[in-house]
Amino acid sequence: MARLAIEGLCKGWDFPVIDDLSLTVEEGEFLVIVGPSGIGKTTLLRLVAGLETPDGGRILVGDRDVTRVPPYRRDVAMTFESYALYPHMTVARNIASPLKARGLPEDEIRRRVGEVTRLLRIDMLLERKPGEISGGQKQRTALGRTLVADPQVFLLDEPISHLDARIRHELRSQFHTLEDLRRVATVYVTHDYAEALSLGDRIAVMGNGGHLVQVGNPRNLFEQPATLFVAEHLGQPTINAIGAELVDVDDRLEVHAGSLRLPVSPAHRAALTKMQQRQVTIGLRPQHLRPADELPQGMELEGRIDIFEALGSTGVMIVDAGGVRLTALTRPERSFDHGEVVTLALNPAALYFFSPVDGRNLLL
Amino acid sequence: MVDQTRPEDRWRHVRVLFLAFLGLWLLFTLFPLYFMIITALKTTAETNLTVPTFWPEIMAFGNFAAVFAEATNFDALVDSFVIATINTLLSLFLGTLAGYAFARFPRQAGGENLAFWILSNRMFPPVAILVPMFFLFDSTPWGTDSIWSLVILYLVFNLPLATWLMMVFFRDAPRELEEAAYLDGWTPLRAFMRITLPLVLPGMISVAMLCWIFAWNEYLFANLFVGTDVRTYTIVIPTFTHGSQTLWNLQMAFSLIAMIPPVTLFILLRRYMVRGLSLGVVKG
Amino acid sequence: MSNVTLSKVNKIYGTGRMGVHAVRDLDLAVPNGEFMALLGPSGCGKTSTLRMIVGLEPITSGDIHFDEVRVNDLEPRERNVAMAFETYALYPNFTVEENLAFPLEVRGVPPADRRRRARELAELLRITEILSAKPPVLSGGQQQRVSLGRALIREPAVFILDEVMSHLDAHLKFQMLFDLKRLHQELRRTMIYVTHDQVEALALADRVAVMSNAELQQVGDRNALYNRPANMFVADFIGEPPTTFIPVERCDHAGSTRLHATGADLVFDVAAERVPGLDAHGGRKFMVGIRPQNLHLCDDGATIGGKIVINEYLGERSILSIVTGDVTLQALAPPETRMTPGEHACFSLDPRDVMIFDTETGALVT
Repeated sequence: MARLAIEGLCKGWDFPVIDDLSLTVEEGEFLVIVGPSGIGKTTLLRLVAGLETPDGGRILVGDRDVTRVPPYRRDVAMTFESYALYPHMTVARNIASPLKARGLPEDEIRRRVGEVTRLLRIDMLLERKPGEISGGQKQRTALGRTLVADPQVFLLDEPISHLDARIRHELRSQFHTLEDLRRVATVYVTHDYAEALSLGDRIAVMGNGGHLVQVGNPRNLFEQPATLFVAEHLGQPTINAIGAELVDVDDRLEVHAGSLRLPVSPAHRAALTKMQQRQVTIGLRPQHLRPADELPQGMELEGRIDIFEALGSTGVMIVDAGGVRLTALTRPERSFDHGEVVTLALNPAALYFFSPVDGRNLLL
Repeated sequence: MVDQTRPEDRWRHVRVLFLAFLGLWLLFTLFPLYFMIITALKTTAETNLTVPTFWPEIMAFGNFAAVFAEATNFDALVDSFVIATINTLLSLFLGTLAGYAFARFPRQAGGENLAFWILSNRMFPPVAILVPMFFLFDSTPWGTDSIWSLVILYLVFNLPLATWLMMVFFRDAPRELEEAAYLDGWTPLRAFMRITLPLVLPGMISVAMLCWIFAWNEYLFANLFVGTDVRTYTIVIPTFTHGSQTLWNLQMAFSLIAMIPPVTLFILLRRYMVRGLSLGVVKG
Repeated sequence: MSNVTLSKVNKIYGTGRMGVHAVRDLDLAVPNGEFMALLGPSGCGKTSTLRMIVGLEPITSGDIHFDEVRVNDLEPRERNVAMAFETYALYPNFTVEENLAFPLEVRGVPPADRRRRARELAELLRITEILSAKPPVLSGGQQQRVSLGRALIREPAVFILDEVMSHLDAHLKFQMLFDLKRLHQELRRTMIYVTHDQVEALALADRVAVMSNAELQQVGDRNALYNRPANMFVADFIGEPPTTFIPVERCDHAGSTRLHATGADLVFDVAAERVPGLDAHGGRKFMVGIRPQNLHLCDDGATIGGKIVINEYLGERSILSIVTGDVTLQALAPPETRMTPGEHACFSLDPRDVMIFDTETGALVT
């Protein structure tokens, strides 16, 4: 068992994909890398696995520098987004593959495959081929093949994003409870922020240009995003980002956007007053903007409903408030009509202030 | 108003036409085989009739024994078999390795262009190299009249084909499966043997069939190169003559016997060929 | 514009004993201008249904009417339906505008009209700024819009969308949901949306038809499917996180009726008005279904308690998994909840939110 350390890793083809990236994953830590598709998350995993050669930087597993070690000697296991199951082999032989590679005796292999498949509840599929099982079962088989290897580092590439909501939910719970995954350093890549928040001991948000934008625990990232990019990427519906101006009104500080006048909470004032910059982007998560009767102590504002949709467990409304388009949430059983005027409420303390230039969170 | 005929009826007309066409086509393709079989069963006299008969008057099964009156005729079949088999194994072995290199490391292997130029060997007429090849092989220690001259010469035609086709098959076999095998701890060679090769096996079998049949049936080079120490069956067929008279019945009987190995091979291996590369699908 | 009516529609692939019944006795009416979603897991028959409506698949028995016209024997092009697919299938060497106008060009509409219609539609779909771009440079969401536009441009009577969002990222999907909804509000055209994703179906459609095992399970709007699911399948399929089902036994005690869980120390009160329903059904054993959003975390005096095994923080909310006896329940909790695995948690539950099902048939009892 060991920690995984990535130091100043670089990789690019025609343009840099991973640029001077450093990251440490402790032994027993579950780290989730989250970011939009096509941003280089998979490349990072492939570099750690040894399937790509870095242009610069080092990768260490424990004290061992594995940067130039071929994948089959790294003791790193990885699941692929496509599952990459061997189509000509049964589930049992697929899972046994890493053990066979090490030349373990047959009965030992059978015992360990039995254990893993019972754990993953695929023990009734042992003799099936990958073409004959469902997507969720394929994913479990792929997971079984990595678990059985008992490696130093686990790499999981979008393991559940192609599955139905139902199975996703079930597998997510399973990731929480799998002891084997929780014992070693695990890197889990996804574009789904909910998976990241749910599973990660820590989350690393990857942004354009192959950098990590912010690394931290889920609550930390969600509640104190370092940049607007992080705030936009975590959360559904996407956070409201509104161009606004800080204005001193008497002895208070306000933000003005369109004809909206919002007070700045005293807690934020100190940080914002000393700034030269008066232009800001304010961020407001939709769940912090609700009909006034659902948020009794809030600061109220009027809005006209553009669209209302009841999703599963929330109702989403898009309103026009003083010339600003805002997304607000409500209870799903309620109903609003297009054009209806509603009174919304928000808590000024829930506002974020970002720099309109580089998106930096001005309160941090 | 809309056409009220039911869609099934419309399809029925098409189907009848299609079946008629299919019948004609079958007649056209199967007739030569039929005529070959009945000719093999005719007596020499009957083959020489000016008005051909479409069913033998006397079934001369003895023809099939008569072709082996000359004991060396059977040896010719053996020689052909040995040449075709060795050539196929070599083509397959070299073609698989080369095809893998072109598919997985195109830049290191010389790129798409080189692969194309290799295939282009198949494009010029074989006759063009007949004479130079003869002199080339004549200068070897074993001369032209040897199994090895033909084995090597047929590689000129079969290896490019095998390389090109194997390259296509390897490209279709997902690279990720190999990578998954590396991560399981298999070395590249073992991953290739255990994972990739089984995936392209149906393709390899098809390639083997194509190579084998080419080498088995080749006449032009065999006729010029060999004939004394080594004889292929294809150069034996024209020897069934009686003076100036061609013994069509014996030629057909010997040809039919020569068809047995490829047909048997095909029947045995067909199952693997048809499965094709559909195995390559990983995602569900 | 059309009413689409399916009556006793069956689809059987193959014949005799080898036949596979893909759609069984389907009755479904989509009134003019309605947005109807056809929802179900893969293999439930929704795609076969859609293919029969479009005319790509012959109907084994039953009738499909567009308004008064029986369309069973009409070719797809004679039915005036348009369909948008999961894959975008745009012509890569045409610009967006040419792609949009192509169906009109095929029909010999004059260039000026084509241009005008393409621009109108582009405005509606908010793709005016990319009209002269070619598909390969567009994002997935933009391509999907163009593909929708191409299907819409010839003003079909019925517009069918087949899993059009399954390739999009979560964020894009969310945006597309709103755009589709707005599109429908502006066009007011009969739309049938096929999907396996309940979020999409519930968000978009006026009504959702839930299918499973070749049969229609229930047709209704979100509230009906959520609060009065016809059977356990619907209760299980609709809702995220999924409903928990608990086998229970009926106990009448001192004039009140309660349900005792067989595998755990859980008791569910039955509201007095629902007792007649239970009486009418008879029997003692039932299956109780509880939606995670109906369990409310509280301090004490609650009916339901258990040990937390997972506290899944999701930003806007948390999902708690609680074990009691051999039952695992899931509950939604506010994101501030800091409870950790191993702790004991109590929940209150409104007796009206308990769904009671028949153990054998799975049908809703009350």
